[in-house]
Amino acid sequence: MPYDPRLAGAGTAAQGSPAPPPPPSEAAAATVAAQSSTEQTASHKLRFCTVCASNQNRSMEAHLRLSTAESPFPVISFGTGSLVRLPGPSITQPNVYNFNSTSYSQMYDELLSKDERLYRNNGILNMLDRNRNVKWGPERFQDWVPGLPRVDHVSKGDKGALGTEGGVVDVIITCEERCWDAVVDDLMNKGSTLNKPVHVFNVDIKDNHEEALVGGKAILELATRLNEVAIQEQTALGAGGWENGTGDARRSFDEKVPEVLGSWQEKWPNLPALWTLAWL
Amino acid sequence: MAQSGDQVVDQIAQLNAARNLVLGDAAFYPQIVNGVLPIIGAHARVELRRWGSEFLAETFASPAFATTQKEQLAINVLQTVRNILELPEGDQLVLQNIAQTAASLYPLVFRHIINHPEDKQSWEHIEAIKQDILRRWDSFPCPVKVCCIKFAQRVVLAQTHGPIADPRRPDKNETSLAILPRNHAILSLPNLEAESSGLLDRILSVFHEDASDPILVNATLNCLATLVRTRQSVGNKIINAILNFFPARHARSPVTPAVRIGVKSMERTARAVFINIMKRNPSHPLAGKMQQHIERLMQSRIGHVDDTSRKRGLPTEPTDGLDAAKRARLDAETPPIIKVPPLPSGRISFAQLFTLTEDSGLSSFDVKQLPPDLVVKIAVPLLARVDQSLLSQAVDAIRMRYETVQKQQMAQPQPAAEEEDDDYEPEYQPMDVPGSAANEAGAVSAALQEEQPDLVSLGPFVLPRPPPLSEEQAAEAGRGAVARVFGMLGSTTLAPNLVKGQGQLGFSRLAGSTFDRDAWVTLLTRLATRAPAGLEGPKLEADYAGRRKPTISDTIRESLYRYILEDFRGRVNVGIMWLNEEWYNDRLQMKVASSNRAEDDEEVSVPLHYDHWVLRLLDGFLPYLDSRDTKIFIRFLSEIPEVTISIAKRITSLAKDPERVNLCVQSFMYLVMFRPPAREICLNALEEVYLTYEESRPSAGKVLSRWRPQRVEQLQAEQTTLVTRTVDSQTPSSTVTNGSRDPRTAHAAAY
Repeated sequence: MPYDPRLAGAGTAAQGSPAPPPPPSEAAAATVAAQSSTEQTASHKLRFCTVCASNQNRSMEAHLRLSTAESPFPVISFGTGSLVRLPGPSITQPNVYNFNSTSYSQMYDELLSKDERLYRNNGILNMLDRNRNVKWGPERFQDWVPGLPRVDHVSKGDKGALGTEGGVVDVIITCEERCWDAVVDDLMNKGSTLNKPVHVFNVDIKDNHEEALVGGKAILELATRLNEVAIQEQTALGAGGWENGTGDARRSFDEKVPEVLGSWQEKWPNLPALWTLAWL
Repeated sequence: MAQSGDQVVDQIAQLNAARNLVLGDAAFYPQIVNGVLPIIGAHARVELRRWGSEFLAETFASPAFATTQKEQLAINVLQTVRNILELPEGDQLVLQNIAQTAASLYPLVFRHIINHPEDKQSWEHIEAIKQDILRRWDSFPCPVKVCCIKFAQRVVLAQTHGPIADPRRPDKNETSLAILPRNHAILSLPNLEAESSGLLDRILSVFHEDASDPILVNATLNCLATLVRTRQSVGNKIINAILNFFPARHARSPVTPAVRIGVKSMERTARAVFINIMKRNPSHPLAGKMQQHIERLMQSRIGHVDDTSRKRGLPTEPTDGLDAAKRARLDAETPPIIKVPPLPSGRISFAQLFTLTEDSGLSSFDVKQLPPDLVVKIAVPLLARVDQSLLSQAVDAIRMRYETVQKQQMAQPQPAAEEEDDDYEPEYQPMDVPGSAANEAGAVSAALQEEQPDLVSLGPFVLPRPPPLSEEQAAEAGRGAVARVFGMLGSTTLAPNLVKGQGQLGFSRLAGSTFDRDAWVTLLTRLATRAPAGLEGPKLEADYAGRRKPTISDTIRESLYRYILEDFRGRVNVGIMWLNEEWYNDRLQMKVASSNRAEDDEEVSVPLHYDHWVLRLLDGFLPYLDSRDTKIFIRFLSEIPEVTISIAKRITSLAKDPERVNLCVQSFMYLVMFRPPAREICLNALEEVYLTYEESRPSAGKVLSRWRPQRVEQLQAEQTTLVTRTVDSQTPSSTVTNGSRDPRTAHAAAY
């Protein structure tokens, strides 16, 4: 019963909250609104989801980057493959694990005991060590139920979990076209029961450690640019601000997304990008 | 009392704590939602309304919160949602959240109303919300528009017929019109259906607009797959709308990176929708079209917009380094490469062209020395074991050689070629072929010494004309062809002609142009009647004199006759069509003959077929006619072109059978009533029936009393005396029939 104490407090808070007060005077409201809205919007964060094939290399690098940025983003990550595949001693002997039920630590320990030299040299142990400090284990995108609360991830201390308690994200970024196709297709299969729009991007990154580092950097930049536009919208909307803004400032976050991606693509021409607006 | 900013911040912190509580345990949703409703209502500050509307959207979307509980809770929040929506201020974030909430609420409330027809209040609220959203849809800012699309999709989903998963457990079924009872107090099925149909059109209208916003298009596309999958009735409409949509057309003239991304995204999303549909239903009737469309989209995008960022080439290493299947297999054994000796210079023989070995003993070996069966025994197992790569290498080598030789010859002038062509003997003698084939190596090489230059450039080969067919052969072939057409008529593969389609054609239809069963019948009847017209006249005379041999047209007539008799009930229309053709042809023949006679001034006889075949057909099926076949028989009698005395006699004969008396009388009655030219003939025949067959008197008497009242009285008077003077009564009746001869013939001539 871990929620009992909070239940008591929150329950009274909700019920004890006063009846709607009369509207404040206009002047006071304006200043107050301006203050509170700047406070709010400065901390406004888009929620992200990064996706690759095995939820090991590219999506986890991006997950780490986004969740440990100067102003960290709420982020969760997934893989779209059927199984988690890690390179083995030969091309025909990969190490295969199940999604959702094997932790990065288990994989680390197993590979460490199997052949430390090999897995140290090919960077697998290094990667798993990084991953186990980010979150518990690889999750499969197709098994994700959007909207299902993820409060336990916060208590587990997953990086980027703060802000994703509702199990909902604003932006999904995949690292390979195959994964983008799988994500868009799976969202259609899920039936979009939440009625919530979500931007799905693809940033094509080759699956190796070096490219993943470059890709992670690029994804962080894309995320930052998107968030800037979202904050612009929030500021513009802040208590009547939208009415005062003109021209470009009036255009919403959603409308600016193709432009943001376009200008980002010009800076990163080697990471072909793709985008759509799907539904959670 | 002005509410300070601190207070709002505090309140929101408290509300966030409450939200954390329900995220931890969904059981608290009803309590918390009911608790916060007064705080976040239409009178609250915008910050609180934003928070509240977002919380409501989250609540009614949450998969953790059971649907039945959501349904109950939905009723409580309707009033608040409606009030917030109807606020004049229209904060964009609030509206976004409210539209999302409404999309989740709609199916819940719809279901509630289905089960609680008495709750008019709730329906009024949700209707007001729906109408307000739909009315303001086009004037909303873009992010709200996006949410409106989804709301409309939810409404369409609820107001169309969905699948019934389990009729015994209505609570398990999806919310759709399928679970709505027809006699519902509030919800009218046709109205809801009409509304959803209109709404779907509005959703799909985004594809028809000239400059579509990629955001709206993508948002629409991504919510259509669900509709196609679960709502069969609208699936094809949606697919066709997407099929008619070409994103590349929407590329505005300055192709900025943003435009390029927009077009690419629309194309890829449309592709994703089609792939999603086809994956679920690979045998979808429109699957082929969707596949084509996907390919066309790719092409058009590359052509229009995507000139700069072509796809990358193959990555230098596999994209998924962990996937074994993607690595090239390098350990495969490469087959040994065979050595191809160069061709000797100068003219070469076929044997040289095909020889790859350098062993002189082997190349000079004459295979013809071996008996053929031994060659077969060796060759078959050898071919079975031959290495595929070696074979293809050898074939390639020979092809190379052949092509070089051909090039050389093209370069050289060919002086001998013309002579050869002149000598060319067009008589095709198939008997020679196996011989020359058997000769192969030796003989060919010998012959090649002389015919060398013509090795490759053979002249065009003209197949000689076949010898002319004899008359018997031609007739036989004709009969064969006719038999084949009849075989096809009988087979079930030929689709029966669609009555509907014919009805649409009406008078403008052209006989035999539809290529169905009727068309073939038309073809046959005309072949029988018209084709040989004028040809067989004199021949027939000769035939009468000498041997009687059936002409092709008589064969067809015979076949038609049998074809109709096989199933005269079903094929009576074929018979009618045929007899009409016969009659028409007879008329034409007579007309032509009379015009000829004027010139030649001599007697010309025309072979007439109608009378002969109509009687034969009648005689054929009359014995099988049943008392229930009235309709078919009357139809036949009414539609054949001419009713003659002999036909009337045949009908009269039906009355012999007491069971078919009525059939006989009814047929006459019909003819009397609706076929004035045949009226006299039929009335006379009917009188005969009346007199001859006692069973017919009640029915025949009625008809006669209407059309020949005096005769009936006379006949009845006779009948009273008939009892005593049976023998004498025959005489007047026969005189009557004889007496009425004249008008009958007059009628026949006038017809």
